[in-house]
Amino acid sequence: MEHQTLSLGGTRVRHMGRVNWRGLWTLYMKEVRRFLNVFTQTLLAPMVTTLLFLAIFTLALGGGGRVVGGVPFATFLAPGLIMMAMVQNAFANTSSSLVIAKVQGNIVDVLMPPLSPAELTLGMAGGGVTRGIMVGLAVGLGMWIFVPVTIHNPLFILFHGVMASLMLSLLGMIGGIWSEKFDHIAAVTNFVITPFSFLSGTFYSIQRLPETWQIVAHFNPFFYMIDGFRYGFIGHADGNLTLGIVVMAGVNLFLWFVTYRMFATGYRLKP
Amino acid sequence: MTGVGGSPEAEGAAVGAAAPVLAFRAWRPLSFRRFNWRGLWTVYYGYGLFRFLRFGLETLAGPLVSSMLFLLVFVVGQRSLGEMLPGVGLKEFIAPGVALYALAYTAFQNSAAMIVLDKMEGTIADVQMAPLSALEVIAGFVLSAATCGLMSGALVALGTAVFVDYSYFDVTFVLGFAVLAALLFALLGTIAGLWAERWDHYGAVEGFLIVPLGLLSGTFFSVERLPEAFRDWIYFNPVFYAVDGFRAGFIGQAETSLALGAGLLAALNLTLAVLAWRLFAAGYKIRP
Repeated sequence: MEHQTLSLGGTRVRHMGRVNWRGLWTLYMKEVRRFLNVFTQTLLAPMVTTLLFLAIFTLALGGGGRVVGGVPFATFLAPGLIMMAMVQNAFANTSSSLVIAKVQGNIVDVLMPPLSPAELTLGMAGGGVTRGIMVGLAVGLGMWIFVPVTIHNPLFILFHGVMASLMLSLLGMIGGIWSEKFDHIAAVTNFVITPFSFLSGTFYSIQRLPETWQIVAHFNPFFYMIDGFRYGFIGHADGNLTLGIVVMAGVNLFLWFVTYRMFATGYRLKP
Repeated sequence: MTGVGGSPEAEGAAVGAAAPVLAFRAWRPLSFRRFNWRGLWTVYYGYGLFRFLRFGLETLAGPLVSSMLFLLVFVVGQRSLGEMLPGVGLKEFIAPGVALYALAYTAFQNSAAMIVLDKMEGTIADVQMAPLSALEVIAGFVLSAATCGLMSGALVALGTAVFVDYSYFDVTFVLGFAVLAALLFALLGTIAGLWAERWDHYGAVEGFLIVPLGLLSGTFFSVERLPEAFRDWIYFNPVFYAVDGFRAGFIGQAETSLALGAGLLAALNLTLAVLAWRLFAAGYKIRP
């Protein structure tokens, strides 16, 4: 894209190559600063809540040295809880950013700059992934104090951690673009994200479920992210690991395309 | 002063004569008498409850869905896990706690979020300017938030009844402790809302006070399940007494004395009510 150089009172129009790197970086940093500004709410509060969840579930369900998937119950539970905190925060970051901007009307500040739909998608998703990873690290460190956390395969942890955060960041963007009011996005959180993440096998081994529900559970992409992530920690998986990688990559590609088209067509963003 | 009110026959005129010129309370229409019941009703219904019900889907169905999921996860995880108290299964033990947690959380959220929202948008002045005393405003806030909490709790309790068999049911304990807990969290929410200056203050109170108090209250485990060192600490959590008494109405056993719990909660509610009333009367963080 070639721009003509205009002279506007001594300022020159900035030339960009194929990718507006500076714009992308600015958008990314805006998203990151937005949550770091209120880090008690966005990093510490999820950490406290997740540790409390670990405590109550271990107290209520883990009595009498119970073993799940070959490891103590708390060790089985910890990776799932870390993943739940990560995905919920990744979703919250992109969705709240978009909905607040839309409700307040300052979404134009994001739409007006010379950023292509792909750059918008990447910049915002980057912010969500960053928050997801940071929350995951904070929660993981917190749990490490109380529960023996073993690491079996760091590559699986990294892959599924990033992929899950990316998936929920993209879902958050789709939900945020679709929502016109705060209650729309609250409905998406309550009726889509929470059920999917609760019923994903975080709190129990999927093998405990009745036969039919096991099959249903395999259609939940959240199951694969938690299963693969947990495999990275304890070395035991309920499902097929290769299939999990394929599903996560496929779902992310699809969601990326949807988000990209939403920005490109201006669905519920541009009048 | 008397000209505004119309006729000088009622007590308003007498108060007005002694009060300074800018005493707005003296300007009330004379029909208000000592207590502005209609104003209280307006704050209670129009200002609090109606706002809650307008978003019926999220405010009522949201907690219902997440509570049912919580219970479902416990039921799936349970199977061969035995009993939480003698003769009481895990499911029967947890279901009332889940309902009370939804109740408490809704009550807190409604009073706190309502006040913070109004402070942020400046519309709190609408309540301050109205011919309402501090007591009337606070009563309206707290009672409406408590009602929202009770509605949410009742809905969740009904929802759990689908899965859980409540063969024993004592309406006195259930209702009594539900009201005490709803008032407690509505009052906590009111005070937190007055204190908070921004949304992240509200988030901090929620994340570091309300959620820990609610989750570590014995909602999900009996005292015997706690490690030795923490057992005594739970008796300092007022929510523990509320959960225990509320659950006793469903399962017929309590872990501590119910009279003590009710007395303690009532005393705490009274203290918090006086505090909230005085804070609002003094204009704490709401008057420039």
